[in-house]
Amino acid sequence: MIITNNLTKQFGDFTAVDNLSLSVKEGEILCLLGANGAGKSTTINMLLGFLKPTSGAATINGLDVVKNELKTKEFITYIPENLMLYPTLTAIENLDYFSGIAGKKLSTETLIGFLREAGLQEDAFQKRISTFSKGMRQKVGIALALAKDTKVLLLDEPTSGLDPKASNEFGELLQKLKNKGVAVLMATHDLFRAKEVATHIGIMKNGKLRQQFVAEDISLPQLEKAYLDTMNHLEVMS
Amino acid sequence: MFRYNFIYELKLLLRSRWIQLLSILLLLLFGFSTINGKSKVVKREVDISVAKQEVEETDKAMLKLLDSVEQGLEVSVPSWTIPSSPMAVGNYHPRVAAMDPQPMAFISTGQADLFTHYIKPTVSGDDFALNFTEMTSPVQLLFGSFDLAFVIVYLLPLLIIAFTYNVLSSEKEQGSLRLLASQPISLRKWVFQKLMLRFFWLSLLVTLSLVVVILVAGVQPLQWSGILILLGLALCYMLFWFALAFLVNIFVDSSAKNAVSLIMLWVVFVLLMPSVLNQVGNTLYPIPSRTLMINEMREHKAEATKRQDEILDNFLRDHPEYAINDSTQSRNFYHRYMASQKVVKEELKPIVDAYETQLQKQQSWAQKLQWISPTIVVQESLSQLAGTSTADYGNYRKQVMAFAGQWRAYLTTFLYNNTPFSQKDYLSLPQFNYQAAKSNSVFTSMLVLLLIAILLIGFGFAVQGKTQQKGILSN
Repeated sequence: MIITNNLTKQFGDFTAVDNLSLSVKEGEILCLLGANGAGKSTTINMLLGFLKPTSGAATINGLDVVKNELKTKEFITYIPENLMLYPTLTAIENLDYFSGIAGKKLSTETLIGFLREAGLQEDAFQKRISTFSKGMRQKVGIALALAKDTKVLLLDEPTSGLDPKASNEFGELLQKLKNKGVAVLMATHDLFRAKEVATHIGIMKNGKLRQQFVAEDISLPQLEKAYLDTMNHLEVMS
Repeated sequence: MFRYNFIYELKLLLRSRWIQLLSILLLLLFGFSTINGKSKVVKREVDISVAKQEVEETDKAMLKLLDSVEQGLEVSVPSWTIPSSPMAVGNYHPRVAAMDPQPMAFISTGQADLFTHYIKPTVSGDDFALNFTEMTSPVQLLFGSFDLAFVIVYLLPLLIIAFTYNVLSSEKEQGSLRLLASQPISLRKWVFQKLMLRFFWLSLLVTLSLVVVILVAGVQPLQWSGILILLGLALCYMLFWFALAFLVNIFVDSSAKNAVSLIMLWVVFVLLMPSVLNQVGNTLYPIPSRTLMINEMREHKAEATKRQDEILDNFLRDHPEYAINDSTQSRNFYHRYMASQKVVKEELKPIVDAYETQLQKQQSWAQKLQWISPTIVVQESLSQLAGTSTADYGNYRKQVMAFAGQWRAYLTTFLYNNTPFSQKDYLSLPQFNYQAAKSNSVFTSMLVLLLIAILLIGFGFAVQGKTQQKGILSN
């Protein structure tokens, strides 16, 4: 579903993403770990068409993200670290607007169903977003993924700043989406959450994918050690 | 996308309370300016009506005197004012040459605060010395008149700037831009739709406010077509500013920079360009001094006075038609004076023509270059619609000059035929009827404004904006 092939992004002399090749299939969750500036967000920005790759290619659902920027976005839902919606609109209205401009005409009942499925409490449906916590806004983001019948979910530090309960709930929602066959690429610093939700885990440093694991094959302490080793040693390669 | 933008743009506007504030502000601005404009028109109408009433009253007195004179009764007025003398009628009972306000005069003061609206040309007066200017308050001249044209030309763009400067940048600043840009939509198209929707809502507000204000202020049925043209012109001008806002939104990034850029454009189009155009016009086609012209005229008159007898002889030789029925061949001061006036006028013609030609050159230069600033185009069009433009006053001046000539010619015939003016001649006295000039340039202005707006929007779509070049979404 998501494939990058030698994807590279340079800003002048600085290489933010360096020959990155990865793939995320349907029903897989790939968590990209790495320090700030490792290239995780730049990768997501390229998949979203926000940045043009310097070289290499990326495809979503078989379509090149540069050549078919708008078409690929039909399959994508993106939830940034701090999902900001329109504060003066209610949860249903925000969901209706964003799914509507994405080409999905849905009834209020259907939208309510998605908000319910995303775990948002009933009394919040008609409340303005300005009263929502970050966790509640993330749930509206998940409801948007459901409303768009999304194939690819791109998450950039989605659990950063969430309390453990909200973070856990978010993890459960990801599992639901995974079971529906959604391909999830999540950039995170949270090793614990990555181990909890991911099917695959990659560690990035200086724009390169240094190590990659199947989540089941590695314990949390082993993951932590691998992460620290990668951060401490420049040239440790998988 | 359009349907959702349409619905939610209105919801967002209504909930931001901005639209309520804007509606109140628009109503207040339109209301105050319309009342202000109306009151000036009413004052003008009253002034003209008072002048006409005065003439009616002096005419009644004149007819009474004529009646007494014709019955051979003695009258107790100075001999030179007895109306059986055509010169007494021509000098002491002039007609009012009034420029009646047009139905839409209330929308733009235009040149109305500089020029007078009625003149009483006398038979022995100089056409060149007819004073068309009016004393006005220097404070008002400095700030201009607070009329509908002022609100539309100067203030409406500022409201549009406040309404549009941050359509895209606010999305970035409040954090919703990345979510928005991750949807399968073109951001440029999205910005365009949002701006067009704001244009639609603002147009609706402007239309409603105008209609409410005009209904409250009172409107004649004939004025509705003018009001429709006014509305069309205002909407085209608004579209121009929305097109500029579109460009700024897609080429500049932060709200602060957008606001400053749009204010700069406002300064350039609204303040700088008209002023530069005026200055350059004055430099290229300097108008000869009117004072020098009047001095020269006085010199010619003084010279002509010295040879009045000779002039009169020449004049009567050249114009036998004036004295065709004169059996008395009596000649007095006025015979000589009127003949010399005619000579002076002919001698001064080249000087007056030079003055007028230079003035026309300057005006035609400004007319041609008005298209560089839509603000000038709209101001000029609104003044034309109101009948208060420079061209309208030029037209009025010409008509007054022609009438003064007609008045003089009518009474001069009595003078040279040595025929007394009688009651039966009263009804055939020339009357002044102002004919307003008809112009279709308002429609051309609308078309040009539309074209400029379309070109600006087309440019915005054709050229890659900063949004993509600098990766506004990647931060």
